[in-house]
Amino acid sequence: MLHIKCPYCGTRSQNEFVYGGDATVKRPQLNKEVSDKEWDTFVYLRKSPRGKHLEFWQHISGCRQWIKVQRDTATHEIFKTLKPNEDI
Amino acid sequence: MPQDFRLDKIGLINRNKKISFKFNGKSYFGYEGDTLASALIANGVHLVGRSFKYHRPRGFFGAGVDEPYAIVQLYRNNETDPNARATEQELFEGLEAKSVNCWPSVNFDIGAINNFLNKFFPAGFYYKTFMWPRSFWYKVYEPFIRKAAGFGVASIKHDKERYEHKYEYCDLLITGSGPSGLASAYAAAKNGAKVILAEDKPRFGGSLLTSEVNIGNQSGKEWAENIITELKEMPNVIVRNRAQVFGYYDHNMLVMSERVNDHLAKSKKYSPKQRLWYIRAKEVVISSGSIERPLVFGNNDTPGVVLSSAAKEYLKVYGVLVGRNPLIFTNNDSGYETAIEFKKNGIWPIILDTRNNPNSEIIDEAKRMGIDIKFSHVVVAAKGYKKVKSAEIAKISEDKKKLGAIKNINCDCICVSGFWTPTIHLTSQSGNKTKFNEEIDAFVPGQSKQEETTVGSANGIFTLEETLKKSFEVGHQISKKITKNDNKVSIPTVVEKKFTKHDKFWCVPLPKEKKYKRFLDFQNDVAVTDVELALREGYRSIEHVKRYTTLGMATDQGKTSNLNGLQLVSDFENKIIPSVGHTTFRPPYTPVTIGAIVGREVGKHSKPTRKSPMHSWHEKHNAVFVDAGIWLRPRYYKQGNEGLFEASKREAENVRRNVGVCDVTTLGKIDIKGPDAAEFLNRVYTNAWLKLPVGKARYGVMLREDGIVMDDGTTTRISENHYHMTTTTAQAANVLSHLEYYLQIVWPELNVNVVSTTEQWAGAAIAGPKSRNVLQKLFPDIDISNEGLPFMGYVEGNLFGVYARIFRISFSGELAYEVNVESDNGNFMWEKIIDIGKEFLIQPYGTEALSTLRIEMGHVAGSELDGRTIPYDNGLQGLVSKKKDFIGKRSLNRSAFTAEDRQKVVGVVPLDKKTSIPEGSHLVKDANAKLPNPKLGHVSASCWSVEYNNPFSLAILRDGKNMIGQKLFALSPLKNKTIPVEIVSSHYVDPKGERVRS
Amino acid sequence: MQKYSVFSLIKNAFKGHKDWEVAWKDPTPKNEYDVIIIGGGGHGLATAYYLAKEHNITNVAIVEKGWIGGGNVGRNTTILRSNYMHDQNGLFYEKGMDLWRSMSQDLNFNVMYSPRGIINLAHSDAQMNAYSRRGNSMRLNGIDAVLLGREEIKKILPMLDFSDDVRFPIFGGLMQPSGGTARHDAVAWGYARQADSMGVDIIQHCEVTGFDVTNGKIKGIKTSKGNIKAKKIGLCVAGNTSMLAEMLNMTLPIETHLLQACVSEPIKPILDQVVTFGAGHFYCSQSDKGEMVMGGDLDGYNSYAQRGNLPTLQHVLTEGIAMFPFLSKLKMLRTWGGIMDMSMDGSPIIDKTHIEGLYLNCGWCYGGFKATPASGWTFAHTIAQDKVHELNAGYNLNRFNTGHLIDEKGLGTKTWIS
Repeated sequence: MLHIKCPYCGTRSQNEFVYGGDATVKRPQLNKEVSDKEWDTFVYLRKSPRGKHLEFWQHISGCRQWIKVQRDTATHEIFKTLKPNEDI
Repeated sequence: MPQDFRLDKIGLINRNKKISFKFNGKSYFGYEGDTLASALIANGVHLVGRSFKYHRPRGFFGAGVDEPYAIVQLYRNNETDPNARATEQELFEGLEAKSVNCWPSVNFDIGAINNFLNKFFPAGFYYKTFMWPRSFWYKVYEPFIRKAAGFGVASIKHDKERYEHKYEYCDLLITGSGPSGLASAYAAAKNGAKVILAEDKPRFGGSLLTSEVNIGNQSGKEWAENIITELKEMPNVIVRNRAQVFGYYDHNMLVMSERVNDHLAKSKKYSPKQRLWYIRAKEVVISSGSIERPLVFGNNDTPGVVLSSAAKEYLKVYGVLVGRNPLIFTNNDSGYETAIEFKKNGIWPIILDTRNNPNSEIIDEAKRMGIDIKFSHVVVAAKGYKKVKSAEIAKISEDKKKLGAIKNINCDCICVSGFWTPTIHLTSQSGNKTKFNEEIDAFVPGQSKQEETTVGSANGIFTLEETLKKSFEVGHQISKKITKNDNKVSIPTVVEKKFTKHDKFWCVPLPKEKKYKRFLDFQNDVAVTDVELALREGYRSIEHVKRYTTLGMATDQGKTSNLNGLQLVSDFENKIIPSVGHTTFRPPYTPVTIGAIVGREVGKHSKPTRKSPMHSWHEKHNAVFVDAGIWLRPRYYKQGNEGLFEASKREAENVRRNVGVCDVTTLGKIDIKGPDAAEFLNRVYTNAWLKLPVGKARYGVMLREDGIVMDDGTTTRISENHYHMTTTTAQAANVLSHLEYYLQIVWPELNVNVVSTTEQWAGAAIAGPKSRNVLQKLFPDIDISNEGLPFMGYVEGNLFGVYARIFRISFSGELAYEVNVESDNGNFMWEKIIDIGKEFLIQPYGTEALSTLRIEMGHVAGSELDGRTIPYDNGLQGLVSKKKDFIGKRSLNRSAFTAEDRQKVVGVVPLDKKTSIPEGSHLVKDANAKLPNPKLGHVSASCWSVEYNNPFSLAILRDGKNMIGQKLFALSPLKNKTIPVEIVSSHYVDPKGERVRS
Repeated sequence: MQKYSVFSLIKNAFKGHKDWEVAWKDPTPKNEYDVIIIGGGGHGLATAYYLAKEHNITNVAIVEKGWIGGGNVGRNTTILRSNYMHDQNGLFYEKGMDLWRSMSQDLNFNVMYSPRGIINLAHSDAQMNAYSRRGNSMRLNGIDAVLLGREEIKKILPMLDFSDDVRFPIFGGLMQPSGGTARHDAVAWGYARQADSMGVDIIQHCEVTGFDVTNGKIKGIKTSKGNIKAKKIGLCVAGNTSMLAEMLNMTLPIETHLLQACVSEPIKPILDQVVTFGAGHFYCSQSDKGEMVMGGDLDGYNSYAQRGNLPTLQHVLTEGIAMFPFLSKLKMLRTWGGIMDMSMDGSPIIDKTHIEGLYLNCGWCYGGFKATPASGWTFAHTIAQDKVHELNAGYNLNRFNTGHLIDEKGLGTKTWIS
């Protein structure tokens, strides 16, 4: 079971969190013209790297904050956790 | 009855307490502290079972977790456990066990015919045959094979035992209480670390219980006892026996199963049978020891062939002799220890040592004792079928290729020692890439991957002095890192015998013209020839060898067979072992009871149950409940002999005619507050929200980014910056997370907060033409006229002293209101409504009537919003704003979503106005078309229309908008139904929506 | 090629089994092939076999970074079925069922196809309705399906929890009688042996390190055993697709996730069918060896680890005991993990790509094993003819642009929710 450091609450077991997917995906701005390709890339395409992966988790049974986690998808090692507005 | 194989004095068992037990129906006795295995051996029972494939006789091979043979059906407290390991099962009064995988008995097993035909059953034989005729595999051959396979029998009774879970955190988890574990634990504990020391066996001390060593002027055993006693008394230490750490998972989470009551005839009250520990350890010290490696020779699976270390353990711990005429077959010094123990107890062993005249202290001692030692000798084959009667032995050449003249010598057991294999399972599970150590011909831990350190023989260190020194150091260093203390304990002096090198030899060649089976995996009957065949056929990767031969896949998971298998592959392929590699070690180290993994979440508690505050009222009034996710909701309220159909029809009719009340507490409720709340809703929902006035509710639809409808519900503006959102019961949690995602990640600039209030409010929907009358009496002070509280209006009120929120919203399509009060007042509200409503003939209605009401009104719900439909499909295109952007809008212009013949919700009525259309039927043009019959749509929801008194259904139909008036067929082949139908509008009742506004 | 039969087995027994030939050779790669299939798993091996058998293309290499059959074909729960609602899925997997039925004879290798029936349990009327929709769709597609009530289920599976102490009582279920199991390793080995005999080179321990793409056309691959040229290349690498796609500068609508499974110790026969729980995600069958084979949810985060964590298994086994209380007394013997190529609508992709001569086969989610023959058959067709077959026409990449999604579960792009 992963041990995830919530930037707000401290380190907690994975069962307090739910996964939220690829955090490098950026939603196009509202009311902005985007091409079909740009939009479909946002909705469907994922890099899914083997190795370092920046991803969202939500501390759902804790502070309910969405956080960013940089984790190795091959070893599950967590390098860093961040608030959503912070960058690596 | 005397025990022929029990010595008088030696051992750690309690001779004052006799324990009687039964094996295969026959009564025996043993002593407290025996295992089933030791007690059986003491009684001279060596035949316990039959092997998996050839049904060869099976006895005991080890004395613990590595045991490949002795698997029995256990009976305890009127329950039965399949596949208990006799070497681990402690004896308790009244224990009963039976042999498995044999018929009619272990002594005379028909299945043993396989053994005589074994040449036709080499590895993988089943891949090459049983193919003709085609259907015979699963009709004839497979059922036969299935019957022959498997060991124990599972009872289909519910397990009466209790299993518990415990979560624990520590600085240091130490797995194994042998010398290395004790030393690390002691050093760390004395340095202030929080320590958990886990021992799989009932007794602490590991190898110290059976070895002749001296630590700090005490015997090894005494030293271990003193250390354990001290550790047990320390507040910062948890010590557990009968506790196996079986899995090393991510981020230093380890899992341990503790057999709390397995050793007793009956579990103690308030005490679980087993306890599963999830342990998050800052550091782990793996002191899991090592397992003796077998030597491979002809018929080496005969009962009476045992590991030399096991023979020693039976002798020193249980006072039991595995034989009175032992042959010790060894390639290293360890076999001598066993021989010396035999000799000390008056038994004359013979040692066959594969080495050519080696020299060491212990060999000298054996010589001094006059033990018969034959150097450069091997066992060629064991003789005897159900028990070793003699052995064929021979001299072996220096290059280990040629055998001398074969001689037969009498013996009743053969104790084998092929040196030691470090137990690296946990280390490997942690992600540590193991490395091969040529000094000891085995894999040892490599670079640590997680916070783990391996000590003692698990790390390939086989001298006690070095083990203790390193382990004390490790315990101190690691604890210092964590506690920052620097309290050192002194390392005691050690007296032990020095051993010399082992022989790199494990597999005795076959003499010419002899076809003895030489087994690697004893349980699965994998012999040397099987591995050779696999390699010859091109199954050369070690994983292919394993899978093709089933080597190492038995219930012991190859603890004693894997390394010999690897050795054989490397010899055959002319490769070194590290380049062959080993198969992956995966948890669990040893099989774990599934009940223990699951814990308390069984039966009714396998998932939580959510109930509304009015639940007990519903129960009292004959509600029949339905699971809605984990909620329980009244489906209908049974009166007299009514069934579902009659009751729900009555309830729905009463809503249409008079008034009904429905518990809607389960709907998701979310409070939304902040100056940007309107803007936020405007982005979340497909329709416009900026101009919703205070005191008004609006129906909204929200999409996922892929354009699919995610949820629907009403949201009410309570005050300027405060909204109350409702969601469907099913999507409540998802919607909240969804809102939080957008607020925290996508649009953090919006000043809005959301919080779930589902549990805070109890809700009652009051629906029907007389609902206003009921409401007026509930809230006499409020103007609830059509002008005062119009459709989609909202007011707050005082319900007999209780704060209430009143929404004029309707799911039933009738004039309706929804009243919310704080949950604690839910029952009060409900009873008031029922009480006051009596004069207006109010009746409670359940989800089934609710469903009828919404279907005939054409309101879509979960069966239409099924995660595959867009607003258009549900007739909700009017709610999709063209002017503003919102979540998922950009996806709606895709070609499939805008296709001319896009599916759309419609109504379906059977032409005969009688035949109900089963939900899940499909609509087709031609009922008799050739398969595959093209489907135009499916029936999503059906009801008996109480308005028109005929069946009515909703369907999602291709080109639905142009299909009204068409005649089609509804087909349900599952129910053998073909129903001619007409497509009508989905708004079957009150299509203009006048009632809700009346 | 040596023919396997009971007669050859007896004949060889008297020769001490010394005369068996290798099941497949161990060739060094040639300089160039007509087709290279990357990935020696079930789908790759099947593709090579059908290229040779159906399209007479035998100058083919399978390039495998580890050992053949070491991916998901060797680490699944061996279930075969075609009980799908969407036409694209139903018809595709039913083609697969046809191929399964004759596979042992076609391959002269006993893959132990065993149509023991698969039963999906339902625990509410709503679920019965959803199953009816699926079952009726199956029947109208010519696939066998039967709807069973509670009492009928009880007759077939008396060891289910029919007691009062049950959280989600059983209402009934949907059964596909022809669904069942097959021996997973045998499928890989059977295809390998036949492909090898028809001239396909099976190159193990050969890792692809790059691609040669010139002017939008595929030219070959770079591997740990050197460069190999090819006119056409097919990717069949399941959970590793994204890594190879990255070498090709492609981003795909898939994510790699971890799925665990486990087996109990072997017990005497107790369960004939494959059974799935309806109030959670758990499925179970009993192997010919007697082990209960069990699986369920994903671990729930992107992973290439092939190693999972216990809470997921705890969760899955909780549902297991809720379904089969007798599992409580059994012991979990072995666990393992596979990495799944989870697509954004839960359905696979078998298609051409924007690179000429490069073909894609991925997105199998949890369902890859049963798809093995149909996947190989249609992928071989797609490669050989340079166009999709009608059976895999719906499995195009373009559907994520057009909206023609094939979402059996209605869960959308959150692939990790099972």
